[in-house]
Amino acid sequence: MRSFLSSLRHSPLLAIGIAIVMVLVVIAALAPVIAPYDPIAITGNSFETPSSAHLLGTNDAGADIFSRLVWGTRTSLAVAVFATTLVLAIGVLVGLVAGLRGGIIDTLLMRLVDVFLALPGLPLLIFVAALVGPSLGVSILMIGLALWPQTARIVRSQTLSLRTRGFVDSARGFGAGPLYVIRRHLLPALGPVVASNLVFVAGAAVTIEAGLAFIGLGDPIAVGWGTMLNRALENPQIYLGSLWLWWLLPAGLALTLAVLGFTFIGVGLEPRFNPRWSRSL
Amino acid sequence: MSKLADLETTDRGDQASESTIDVSGERQAVAVDAGSAAWEGLPVPAKGRKRRWLPYALYLGTLFVLVTFNFLLPRIMPGDPIDALMALGSPSFVQDDETRAALEEYYRLDASLPEQYLTYLGGLVQGDLGVSIVSNTPVTEELVPRIGWSFLLIISSLAISLIIGLPTGVHSGWKRGKGVDRGLLGFFLSVQNLPIFFVGSVVLVVFSAQMGWFPLGGASTPFNEYGGVAQILDVAHHLALPALLMGFEFATFEYLVMRSSMVSELGSDYLLSGRAKGLTERRLKYRYAGRNALLPVITVIGLQFSLAVTSIIFVERIFAYPGVGGYMFEAVGTRDYPAMQGAFLVLTITVLTTNLFVELLYRRVDPRTAR
Repeated sequence: MRSFLSSLRHSPLLAIGIAIVMVLVVIAALAPVIAPYDPIAITGNSFETPSSAHLLGTNDAGADIFSRLVWGTRTSLAVAVFATTLVLAIGVLVGLVAGLRGGIIDTLLMRLVDVFLALPGLPLLIFVAALVGPSLGVSILMIGLALWPQTARIVRSQTLSLRTRGFVDSARGFGAGPLYVIRRHLLPALGPVVASNLVFVAGAAVTIEAGLAFIGLGDPIAVGWGTMLNRALENPQIYLGSLWLWWLLPAGLALTLAVLGFTFIGVGLEPRFNPRWSRSL
Repeated sequence: MSKLADLETTDRGDQASESTIDVSGERQAVAVDAGSAAWEGLPVPAKGRKRRWLPYALYLGTLFVLVTFNFLLPRIMPGDPIDALMALGSPSFVQDDETRAALEEYYRLDASLPEQYLTYLGGLVQGDLGVSIVSNTPVTEELVPRIGWSFLLIISSLAISLIIGLPTGVHSGWKRGKGVDRGLLGFFLSVQNLPIFFVGSVVLVVFSAQMGWFPLGGASTPFNEYGGVAQILDVAHHLALPALLMGFEFATFEYLVMRSSMVSELGSDYLLSGRAKGLTERRLKYRYAGRNALLPVITVIGLQFSLAVTSIIFVERIFAYPGVGGYMFEAVGTRDYPAMQGAFLVLTITVLTTNLFVELLYRRVDPRTAR
């Protein structure tokens, strides 16, 4: 804990990132309290300008844009959490097995990783989402499936280097079983590296989900920032006057802020584990 | 984003040669890392030394998976493409059963799955991507001019990114750790994190709609009779915003790679002796270090080509640019499956082929990666 606090002091980036993400978490948790209206209810006329009743005005359907913005936080964070969990599960499992077993299993798993890395991510996601029908669950699943290979590679390479280290050798020499070695030695050593990778994954997942929604493949039920951007740009009214200032801009800025938050944490976490990086900055 | 992470790994990997973590094995996004055993100082099995066929095998394997996937997925989904046509609200709404049967026969959806697959593969080899449901035109015919526009967009944006990314990267690396370096690094890292579809939307609204400096969309003024230079200027005018947007996005990668590559040249003996000879700083920076640091950028350009495929879907959607990405977006909107599959296939094959070329080129340039 102390080392964590001191690293916060040494890395303002990490502190800022954590602050951003924490604010977003609070907004998401308190969305029903913060948002004055139901995000999908019609609460005014179309295209009302910002006023005390509607902080960011209303959209084409007359829904309160500020409420939609607040609820959008939930969508993005849900994607971040679930997609990252999926990546964690698959990536760590595949990486550990490949690194520890070696031989033909390693080769096969790594070829699988190669194939997945060679797949064109976004076109494939769009293709599947369009066919299966857009929903948040599908997006999360697909994003998880698209992002795990990177994590698997990192875990594998770490495992490969860790398993030849002295402490693993001596543990095995004392008769420790593979599960014990994994639990007691490998996972703790992998933790930091995987953590920083996963924070980047979370940022990527949020961007990709919003991107899919921007193409028109957002969950029709959930309110998301990508969906807001798409809807705004679809409407020719956006070109006129300053409507874009409160319809298009806030959703995009919120998205950017979330992504920046995750990136800052990821970059901030890195120097501690990888001294080379801090030197290069 | 995953490719991004790779570049970051490269950036770090070049900082030091000692490798506790086998960063060096992770050099390329699509690299075959059969050599990781070597990084650990373990003997490499003699059999695994060359493996020239591996990139080709990977290419063909992935291509096969995608083509089959492309065929299978629409057919195993509940409902079929005809359902989309019948769906209320779809632009080509048809309701009676007779039309449905006729359509099913036309798209050969009544044949058995293996039969359909063979027909599909046969058609594919001949460049037949089916007929668009919405426009009733062969997809190939619709895609060919669009490939040209997309190519123009991608090439222009790559050129722009080189113009922006290389000099800044050289300068930043040369001045490593100084204020200029930190500023540029911060700038490019922020740019990298901006979602391109958001920035693009804002750029369109501000510069095209509000300021009126650029056209709202398309690749040229419709029904124009300019001809000659005016025609070229018109096309360039339409191209400017989307190409600049993508150019800036890509410049980040060139900058980062160029910078880290430059940094790794800094301590070199040839720079010291060059300095001792009294060569100008400028000459050392560009002619000597810069030229030597250029190699890794080759890979990045290749990677960007495949990355561009992602970007054009967004960029062409925003600027209504008549390329393959825009086509895919339109097809998604109308649930026009043959059109969607066609666009998907073109984009996919572009990515795979580019990756293969990069891999082969890199093996030639740096034989170590072939292990």
